[in-house]
Amino acid sequence: MEYKIGIDVGGTFTDFLLTSEDRNPEIYKVLSTPDDPSVGLMNGLAEMAGAHGMDIGDFIKNVTTIVHGTTVTTNAVLTRKGARTGLLTTKGLRDALEMRRGIREEQYNNRYTNVEPLVPRYLRYPVEERLDYKGEVVSDLDTADLLDAAELFRKEGVEAIAICFMNSFADDRHESVAAGVMKEQFPDAYLTVSSVFLPSIRFYDRISTTVLNSYVGPILKRYLTSLIEKLDAVGFEGILLIMQSNGGVVSPQIAMDNAAVTLLSGPAAGPVAGIEYTSIQGYTDCITVDMGGTSFDAALIKDKTPLVTTEGEINRLRLSLPMLDIVTIGAGGGSIGWVDEGGLLRMGPQSAGSKPGPACYDLGGVLPTCTDADLLLGLLDKDFFAGGKIPLDYDRAVQAVKEKIADPLGMDPIEAAAGMYRVINVNMASGVREVSVKRGHDPREFPLVAAGGAGPVHACMIALELEIPVIMIPKESSIFCAAGMLMSDLKHNFVRTYSTRLNDIDAKKFKSIFLDMEREATKLLKSEHIPRDAIQHIYSLDLRYVKQYHEVNVRITRDEFEGADVSAIVDRFHPEHNRLFGYSLEEEGTPIELINLRLLSIGKTAKPKFVQEQYDGEDPLNAFKKRRKVYLPLAKTFEMVPVYDGHKLKFGNKVEGPAIIEQVNTTTFVTPEYTVLCDRYGSYTMFVKDREDEIKRKIGI
Amino acid sequence: MKIDKILVSVLQRRFKSITEEMSIVLTKTTRSPILCEAKDFVTGLYDGKGKMLEQTENLPILSFSLGPVCEYIVDYFGDEIYPGDVIFHNDVFSMGNQNNDVAVYKPIFFEDRLVAWAAAKGHQADVGGAVAGGYNPKATEVWQETLRIPPVKVYERGKLRKDVWDLIFANIRFEIVAADMRAQIGSCVVGERGILKLLEKYGLDVFETHKEYLYESTEKMMRAEIATIPNGTYRGEATVYYDGRTPGSKYKIRVTITVDDEEITFDYSDTDPQTDGFVNGTYTSSASATLLTFLQMVNPDIPHNDGMVRPVKILIPEGTILNARYPAATTFGNHLCPPNADAIIRALSRAIPERVTAGWNQLLCYLTSGYDTRKNDNYVDIGFLGLKGGSGGTKGVDGYDHIGMIDASGGVLDQDYEMFEQQTPHLLLQHEYWPDSAGAGEQRGGLGVETRFEIGGRNTKVVTFGDGDVEPAFGLFGGRDATLNRIELHYPDGTVYKTTTKDLVEDVPAGTVLFQQAGGGGGYGDPYLRDPARVAREVRNGIVSVERAEEEYGVVIDPETREVKQKETERMRAKRHV
Repeated sequence: MEYKIGIDVGGTFTDFLLTSEDRNPEIYKVLSTPDDPSVGLMNGLAEMAGAHGMDIGDFIKNVTTIVHGTTVTTNAVLTRKGARTGLLTTKGLRDALEMRRGIREEQYNNRYTNVEPLVPRYLRYPVEERLDYKGEVVSDLDTADLLDAAELFRKEGVEAIAICFMNSFADDRHESVAAGVMKEQFPDAYLTVSSVFLPSIRFYDRISTTVLNSYVGPILKRYLTSLIEKLDAVGFEGILLIMQSNGGVVSPQIAMDNAAVTLLSGPAAGPVAGIEYTSIQGYTDCITVDMGGTSFDAALIKDKTPLVTTEGEINRLRLSLPMLDIVTIGAGGGSIGWVDEGGLLRMGPQSAGSKPGPACYDLGGVLPTCTDADLLLGLLDKDFFAGGKIPLDYDRAVQAVKEKIADPLGMDPIEAAAGMYRVINVNMASGVREVSVKRGHDPREFPLVAAGGAGPVHACMIALELEIPVIMIPKESSIFCAAGMLMSDLKHNFVRTYSTRLNDIDAKKFKSIFLDMEREATKLLKSEHIPRDAIQHIYSLDLRYVKQYHEVNVRITRDEFEGADVSAIVDRFHPEHNRLFGYSLEEEGTPIELINLRLLSIGKTAKPKFVQEQYDGEDPLNAFKKRRKVYLPLAKTFEMVPVYDGHKLKFGNKVEGPAIIEQVNTTTFVTPEYTVLCDRYGSYTMFVKDREDEIKRKIGI
Repeated sequence: MKIDKILVSVLQRRFKSITEEMSIVLTKTTRSPILCEAKDFVTGLYDGKGKMLEQTENLPILSFSLGPVCEYIVDYFGDEIYPGDVIFHNDVFSMGNQNNDVAVYKPIFFEDRLVAWAAAKGHQADVGGAVAGGYNPKATEVWQETLRIPPVKVYERGKLRKDVWDLIFANIRFEIVAADMRAQIGSCVVGERGILKLLEKYGLDVFETHKEYLYESTEKMMRAEIATIPNGTYRGEATVYYDGRTPGSKYKIRVTITVDDEEITFDYSDTDPQTDGFVNGTYTSSASATLLTFLQMVNPDIPHNDGMVRPVKILIPEGTILNARYPAATTFGNHLCPPNADAIIRALSRAIPERVTAGWNQLLCYLTSGYDTRKNDNYVDIGFLGLKGGSGGTKGVDGYDHIGMIDASGGVLDQDYEMFEQQTPHLLLQHEYWPDSAGAGEQRGGLGVETRFEIGGRNTKVVTFGDGDVEPAFGLFGGRDATLNRIELHYPDGTVYKTTTKDLVEDVPAGTVLFQQAGGGGGYGDPYLRDPARVAREVRNGIVSVERAEEEYGVVIDPETREVKQKETERMRAKRHV
């Protein structure tokens, strides 16, 4: 027996998905251990071993792969517990990191303060040196400055160092000398050199990203080192892989050297899972939404490729590495409802989290949350929340909703709860609009994949708000990201800036930059045991019209870069610009500028296989549990609605809305507008009536 | 009809998200850096009568004239507004705020009725007139500044009026302006689609009644905020220096603010008469300045719609420097926001001392243009990175470092340094916090910034506009004043020219270093009450000198260890308090 395990560490729970060739995937959840997340992880492995009647040593021998998503770097930035970091930068420009280009995000709020920089000013050491925009030397590097900096860093107990000089994307000569001196002076310090880590133009983006890497580097290194020791100690001999923000995985050694690639990796496995689940039914596009306790993540996938951005932020700090373009808003089961001064109802972004939690948890929370509203509306069963592990207190929920919402608005508590349900759905729908409409896509053309513990309770109403006709609830929806991790390939991004008008391109230079990156990538993937035939390279360019400020990323083929085929590249750019922004300047003959060359290298991994069920016919009677009163939002009334046991629904079973489908870790609310079909893998597809024939075809009935 | 209070929340959220979508279209598609980099534009939705439904205000100074112009347009065209019309407008004598800011309006029809408007306004790279870009310090009347565009239909019933379009763009220098105006039309189409979807879903009656309820609930919020200000009459004034024509000239802005329970009136009747140059405001640029300053003193979560402005009255007599009479030149008008804000802050500091800030750094901006010999092409560059001084401190919170003028409040970004060197022939030598530039205080002002770059290329012109080289940002309640603005040209032959605040310097040779200091913000409260540990930290970070720590804050720092000498500090602080 060979196992693969996906492990997603969340704020409250650590989720596990265990897969094997011939058995149904198994879901495990254990409490997270924030002080050292590897403890919770090992607890989970022990629980799994126990469930299989083995001790951990025997069990772990059968595990070939562990894919792990960690938020230790994210938390280090959010709680400011990263490494003490020193920065070497060009004299005259030492404050760029802290200035953040002079933005104040809340323009009318004079109490809104700037973010504390990760490196205080006295540890940002200005070095005499200067290159011009082409990388030619204007002032020589003064090595005496480097030694002075080293002395300061030593005195101040710096354990990580970042180096970022002006225009170093064009030439690394000064940075590499500085790096040499620092390595000599501090052989054990964690060092990030911008011309190695992110050799692309835009000084603030590069300096901020370089510093972030050094700031979290030692944290990730310590964590992974200790985790590997623990796994070694129980005899793990398989492969450990770490989730990255770009939706790919990476070996631990490479992750340690490039720690910032994990910074926004929390939700990054979701879209990967979305692709796998929807492609089973022949879709190439989808929107994924993941609603947990405090936040809601939305992502869009087009042609089996998630949208990617290089304009990410963490805690208002720029993180300029390619990452999945995921919109996160403060909406979850714990989101608190409140009435503003003008008497309008709002939901979130504050969340009661798991402590004190929603009022109905009866753990001390007195504020009305989304979960309380869901309970009042009959969408949740007070005796079957988390499979009955967490009993819900109906009266406490009523009291909280009444006091804080219903009374101030002059409504009854049910009306107020319905309002809360509606407002939070609208908030989530606008998160989906942001990732679709604002990026130039029509959400109605995408199936909506709803995941997370709270997602399936709200999926239909989000979809109705956006007029989305097809919704999918994956069988593993409650541990969506853990599932996605097992489906992820190894992925590495490379970038080099070559700033020139496209027509003036030096073919030799252009080609050699791509070949250099490709060599580096192949070497890296080889070190991760990926055979040559499992490697795929994707080449792209950042292009824009002369005098524009925003680039468009355009994918090109190997032949096109080898031949520096400008006319083919131009033919790709104009229509892409037109698609994104509704016009092109092809007819005007406006020249095009090249800014960056990018390479994405993928090492394909074997995907877990899921067991297929036999067709069981349409009748869901075997799964019928009972009927209960559930509030129907559009009719604005309660109705007796059938409740089904989701674990007993079989391939082909058909449930007409309104209905409730309960699983241990999630509840699906099917509104009257939708019908559900269970597919051969145990996932649910919900659809509006007139799509039935099409959906049946897709899931093979 | 019964009001569904939840639907009111839903509609408000949707209006906001539609104006944001309109704004993204402009960010991504415009080509003038003033628009796509600095985001000097606003988008908004208005009801059938032209009343504000919601706005996205990247640069707030532009935003509060969109509504008044919309009402003007409704009145001007009367029953001759049709589906498919597109209307341009920039005219400052029909409610426009600045004639470089050109707006597009698109009426939205539903069931054959005019129900709403979508609008987008942006600062155009050029709108004709005597000088490219519109800043003409020598102008004495509007025709020397830009082309006047009173409301004009460029599309009627969906059909382009080619003759009108050509007439307008025949009078504008740069081709990108037509492309950027097309982008603004695109933005309005996006707004129209969003509103129509809401109408299809909820129907006109529901839309109308719930919209009114939204106005009322917002008005209630605003009234509740005003009610927290003690009733009374509060006066404040500020000085505008140099009208661009007569060295040493000065003008006073005087405001009398009356708070009467839930209503507030800003009366500028005692303000000095208009200048004969271009340093003049228009009613809407000045009223925008008043509103945006006041909005920083109330709950920032109040939605921006007609209800918000109902309890606020703004009286600015025609013929004053804040509301110049036809046909005055007015291009500088937006930049009268900083002194206007100063007058308001001074007045309200007596009523709500815990909610005002000390004075903000005033705008002083340079613009370089010339010929880039590396690329054989012309360039224009506005010095966003150099102009951003500090904001004033407020109760419990220091001023914001390097934020820039109050009319943008941190909404305009610095150029990225490396992009700056790609797109201009200049070499950036320094861009750093200016130590000791902030006004000392229990809460210090925000830091200003020092910028130095070597000018390259040929035929270089340097234009300056702004203020703040005579009077620094002021301190409040014992807080100290900050530092002055300054721009100097250090020529290769060793001579130094200090520019005026409204200047045009031609034929600047390559190798000249432009040096700019943008001052800090004013301090708030007695600096002797500032926590010595914070002062020591700032000394260690090199943004406060050891000398200033002692002189201004009464904090004695050991220059070696950079630590506070407790005893000396106590003695020093005690001495002054006696």
